[in-house]
Amino acid sequence: MTRQWPLRAFSGALSRAYSSSSSSPFPLKHVAKLNFESAFCELKSHVGAADFVAIDLEMTGVTSAPWRESFEYDRYDVRYLKVKDSAEKFAILQFGVCPFRWDAHHQSFIAHPHNFYIFPRQELAADGTSYEFLCQTTSMDFLAKYQFDFNACIHEGVSYLSRRQEEEALKRLNLRYEDNGLLDKVNEFRDVPLARVTDVLFSERMKNRLSEWRDGLLRSGNGVPQFQGISNHSRQQMQTIFYKMRPALSLNGFTAHQLKLIQLVTNKHFKDLAYVRFNSETSCSQQIVVYMDSKSDKDLFMKEVKDDYLKEADMKIKAAIGFRHVIDLLSSAQKLIVGHNCFLDIAHIYSKFFGPLPQTAEGFVSSFHTYFPHIVDTKVLLNSNSVLPQRMRKSNTSLSSAFSLLCPQMAVNSNKISDLAFRPFVNVEVQVDDTRSSNWSSGIKHEAGYDAFMTGCVFAQACSHLGIDFKLHSSSSENLAQNEKLQKYINLLYLSWIHGDIIDLRTGNMIAESSGSNKFRKQHPKILFENVVLIWRFPLRLKATEIRECISKVFGPCSVTSIYHVDETAVFVQFSKAELVFEFLVLKESLERSNDAISVLHPLSKLLEGGNTCAAGYETYKEICSSPISKVLFADQADAVGIRWKTRLVESKLEAQSQKQESFCEENVATTTSISVEKSKTGKQHVIDDLLSRRSKCDEVIDSFFTAEVRQVRATN
Amino acid sequence: MCTLSMRPKQTINNARVTLAASARKMVSFLPWLQRRLFSAEVSRTHQNHRNWTVKQVTKSNFSDCLEGIKSHISSSDFIAVSLQKTGSFSAPWHHVSPFDTPDTAYLKTKHAAERFQVLQFAVCPFTITASRVTAYPYNFHLFPRDELKIGMPSYSFSCQTSYLSSMAREGFDFNACIYDGISYLSRAQESAAKVQMGNAISANAMVESTSTPSVADTVFIQRTRSRVKNWKNAFTDSSTRADEPLLRSLRKLILRSEEYNSRPCMNIDVCSERQMQLVIEMLQEFTDDLVPLIIPAKGGGTQSVRVVLASSKEDKELLQMELQNDEEKQNKKIRGFREVIDLISASQKPVVSHNSLNDFTFVHSKFLAPLPTNMEEFMCSLCLAFPQVIDVNHLMKEISPMRKVTNLPMAISYLKNRFFAPVDVEIPFQALVNEGKIHGHNVVRICQLFAKLCYILKLAPNSIQSNDKNLASALEAYSNIFNPYSPSPQEPIDGDIRIWTNNTIKVSCEDLVFLWGFRDMTAGMLKSMLQASHKVFSEEFDVRLVDKSCAIVVFRRPGLSKTFLDVLNGGSEIVGPLREMVSEGVRAASYETYNRACRLGTWDANLADALDKALADLDYPSGADSKTKSLDTYWCSEWVINLDEL
Repeated sequence: MTRQWPLRAFSGALSRAYSSSSSSPFPLKHVAKLNFESAFCELKSHVGAADFVAIDLEMTGVTSAPWRESFEYDRYDVRYLKVKDSAEKFAILQFGVCPFRWDAHHQSFIAHPHNFYIFPRQELAADGTSYEFLCQTTSMDFLAKYQFDFNACIHEGVSYLSRRQEEEALKRLNLRYEDNGLLDKVNEFRDVPLARVTDVLFSERMKNRLSEWRDGLLRSGNGVPQFQGISNHSRQQMQTIFYKMRPALSLNGFTAHQLKLIQLVTNKHFKDLAYVRFNSETSCSQQIVVYMDSKSDKDLFMKEVKDDYLKEADMKIKAAIGFRHVIDLLSSAQKLIVGHNCFLDIAHIYSKFFGPLPQTAEGFVSSFHTYFPHIVDTKVLLNSNSVLPQRMRKSNTSLSSAFSLLCPQMAVNSNKISDLAFRPFVNVEVQVDDTRSSNWSSGIKHEAGYDAFMTGCVFAQACSHLGIDFKLHSSSSENLAQNEKLQKYINLLYLSWIHGDIIDLRTGNMIAESSGSNKFRKQHPKILFENVVLIWRFPLRLKATEIRECISKVFGPCSVTSIYHVDETAVFVQFSKAELVFEFLVLKESLERSNDAISVLHPLSKLLEGGNTCAAGYETYKEICSSPISKVLFADQADAVGIRWKTRLVESKLEAQSQKQESFCEENVATTTSISVEKSKTGKQHVIDDLLSRRSKCDEVIDSFFTAEVRQVRATN
Repeated sequence: MCTLSMRPKQTINNARVTLAASARKMVSFLPWLQRRLFSAEVSRTHQNHRNWTVKQVTKSNFSDCLEGIKSHISSSDFIAVSLQKTGSFSAPWHHVSPFDTPDTAYLKTKHAAERFQVLQFAVCPFTITASRVTAYPYNFHLFPRDELKIGMPSYSFSCQTSYLSSMAREGFDFNACIYDGISYLSRAQESAAKVQMGNAISANAMVESTSTPSVADTVFIQRTRSRVKNWKNAFTDSSTRADEPLLRSLRKLILRSEEYNSRPCMNIDVCSERQMQLVIEMLQEFTDDLVPLIIPAKGGGTQSVRVVLASSKEDKELLQMELQNDEEKQNKKIRGFREVIDLISASQKPVVSHNSLNDFTFVHSKFLAPLPTNMEEFMCSLCLAFPQVIDVNHLMKEISPMRKVTNLPMAISYLKNRFFAPVDVEIPFQALVNEGKIHGHNVVRICQLFAKLCYILKLAPNSIQSNDKNLASALEAYSNIFNPYSPSPQEPIDGDIRIWTNNTIKVSCEDLVFLWGFRDMTAGMLKSMLQASHKVFSEEFDVRLVDKSCAIVVFRRPGLSKTFLDVLNGGSEIVGPLREMVSEGVRAASYETYNRACRLGTWDANLADALDKALADLDYPSGADSKTKSLDTYWCSEWVINLDEL
């Protein structure tokens, strides 16, 4: 039944994807607009019975500009801003949902992989702004390489509304029909003068016709009056019908302007007639003039009509919720959600199905945690000591390699690997519709449904390595999310894989990965963000080594700890001491002011050549990252964000202690304290361009916001 | 049909009436007619299009089609283009409106052109002979694939879901487009890519330097010369040829010799362009069997000179041929679809489009270079590539000046019912074997519409070949007009209210005031509030909503706008409801602020936010201050988005 797709030009492509459930090896339930409702009903029962639900998303892109990619120089708050930007700009094309249920009878898991095609169709007329999303060309190309079916998505994808969008739509609706909704436009037409002669004539004629019709109604009692001596055509234009048990004239074949005039005439001259517009079943709007015998009848009528409107509009909104029903289901079922490296995924889920993302990572996770109290990330599991032996973790922990490593029987390509160390093995069977199978060849990678299935399998195996024995479970009694062996891993997600920064969804705290856990990862020395200067718009051909050389000449050979290219127009320079940041900025500023021979000969002049070089502390980078604009080059971005100065000084006084930090949490507090120190001195803060005075005020606000936040972090610690 | 409306229709059908007269009569019946005719016409024209064969071009058949389109372009009189994009304007106020000056209109379209993507580019070279149009329509499917892995042609692009959905309704195959679309690089990107890829460039066309060599130069040259000699001798000397392989490879190592196209070569590192020049000059001595190649450095400039040794004079020529072929092949691969743009540009033929400002900002930004900051520079830059761009919309305005007939099928049916313009479209392509959706019909419609308009406007389509000059000069008047709301060129520029349009008046930018900060109000409510608030509003004025956040107030008498702004900023004399509104945050600004909001480029969803930012960001250089003062905009009471009808 689900296979009945409309026969269209694209059905070839679609059926290709669809047929995979029968002919192609991996059984997968594809869900689009047409079979959404039935599939959702089934999914409901599967989720209800499930022990855990694995999810996976395919998006139209990841980063909106090269400099928004993940860097070593990302402080945790900047990292969140980058994730936020990504989730806000790109669209989800596929959503894989795969509930897993332990079948005690068969001693195996039963997986129900669902592959939802989704597309953010604009189904409600909003306030005039259009739905837009970004596509990253490399991501689209990547998906194309894996035969992603874009047609199925755009033609037949399920649409959705976030909770916030739904609220707003309902609010708009209520606002619109608040009082006597349908008559609200009357006032407006009162002052429209009938400018043209034709308008006057037309209005007059309509007035006569309407009064004739009404008089006819009154005369004939219950009979239907007929227009006398009027052409056939006009009769067609105004036909007597009954609307809500009242006689009415339906208006056909008038132009919008003429209708406006009729409305005007009706409201002006007839107390017992009402002009009403409603959407008929064929969904084109229909205008009628209705007769009512009394004022109370009129009120009653207007209320009826209004209720109809509201009901209809409400239904429309409810229908537009679409795929969000699945998210609401997952949220209300409170099951354990399993993802693979899924921080970006949950940010997408939040921004698409709940509301705009909060400004800070802490705000986001605490809010998300209320909707999804139990989340586990297989990437975190795989990198913990107890799941995989060290040497295995050395190979990468990407989903497909973890799958072939942990579930060799299922990943067909990797039959060669038969490591006895990985027994005992958890069996998984796949069920789509009513067909159950335990035999299949591998599915298409990067199809969300299959990826979700792989994630779930990896999780099941990892659990068994942790010593969780599903066989001992009486399937219903115990909740997997409460299992004590899992507690160490639940609700921990990688905020940044590069740094190994893990965020705890329960508290919003950052946890640095225990050092032993991933030795294979290149160990970078901790970056001290208060020692960092951001330089951009320097002469284009300048290389990192030349910049280092240039600065070292002035501040000494050991002054620069590291240099990192943001892109070809910008670099981060980490100094060995925080004071040097201050000194560098002051020096730069004074060199730019004076234009004498000495400044030309100064070693830094190579960096300042061209007179466009800008520099500032790390906070400016964060400010630029938080902008919704995304230019490809960083220097253009800084411009677009509205930075009109060349140097912004930062306060130099920093406690030496801040340099000896071990844990990320401490450092985090320290960096933010430095800002609060800075803030307390904003009065003195040196601002180069006098134009900036306004901006510094604004900074003050931001800074005080930060201090508040720091306090909050401390409190939660 | 009823008798009432029959009569005007007949007059129109017999339309030999002069333009102005008929236009005036038609005014009141037009809306009705339009609706009637449109619905009937669409189905009829639709059937015709079934027969139009448009050649669909993707990556797989692109190179095969190039020769064909090349010859069709060279034998055509005009080239029509039509673009299918992924979006246009994101928020109501981003639309180009009648109150936009050419510059603000340009900034708005620039913003769209930079963000959205072209997925289909239809090109149709055509000729007009008598009443016959011979057209060769091609529809190219494009996708900006990063084939060279250098982040070009575009890192990302925006899509409007409504655009994608409507393409889907027309049966567009997104898979074909993304899997098999043709990529491209703009001219500017091509030169940047060549530098980034560091491919060798043959050094044939080097200019000889004239300056005398310094001592350092001489030393450098002598050293290099002896190195080259040594290396060359090692290969040409017959005594070493017989050496055993080990020895040969050792020698190779010492001489730092490599292979290039299965010939021996060596690299000479250079530190400057000057040194490169010297090396090339020096190598002239060995012109018999050495071919120099320039290896560019990653960041621009030259890294080294590569010398390739040919075994004989014939071999050298062969090598040079090979190099040239390689370069061409590489260039073709880099340019991709832009090859077609270059062909059109090289032909210097008039290009016909519909909504030329929209289309050509896209063409410029995707295939030429990043868009310049203002309209004037854009026109100059575009003119170099496309000297004559004709917008059918402007020709349409000649015929129906009071309405904007923006939609192609509507325009065609409009003409069909009012004028006698027999035009047959003939497409000599063989009917395609593969069935399925054929896209790109719009480009043929543009050809058809253009031919009809030429016929009606007596632009001499009958004798296009014979008196080319007349036509050229006649069309010249309609060329390169990019502002969608500019008056047609024949109209006198007198600044009076236009009699026959009734709702279009000419106002100066100075008489416009933007008003925002109010909540949920209609234009009528605002107007009555303003009327009650100050004496400047005792004279005639207009209020319209630009979007839900901002209104525009038009004063009919010069100077009143300034009084109003002064009053509002002073805050004392206002009475009535406006006073309350001001205390609640209503703000007002002149046209210059709006101008600045467009130039700032933040493009907020609400105009009110953009204006707030523009007011705050006073230090932003305001380049076009003086210019806007003299410019007039057209005030038309029908342009606004009528929120009541939403």
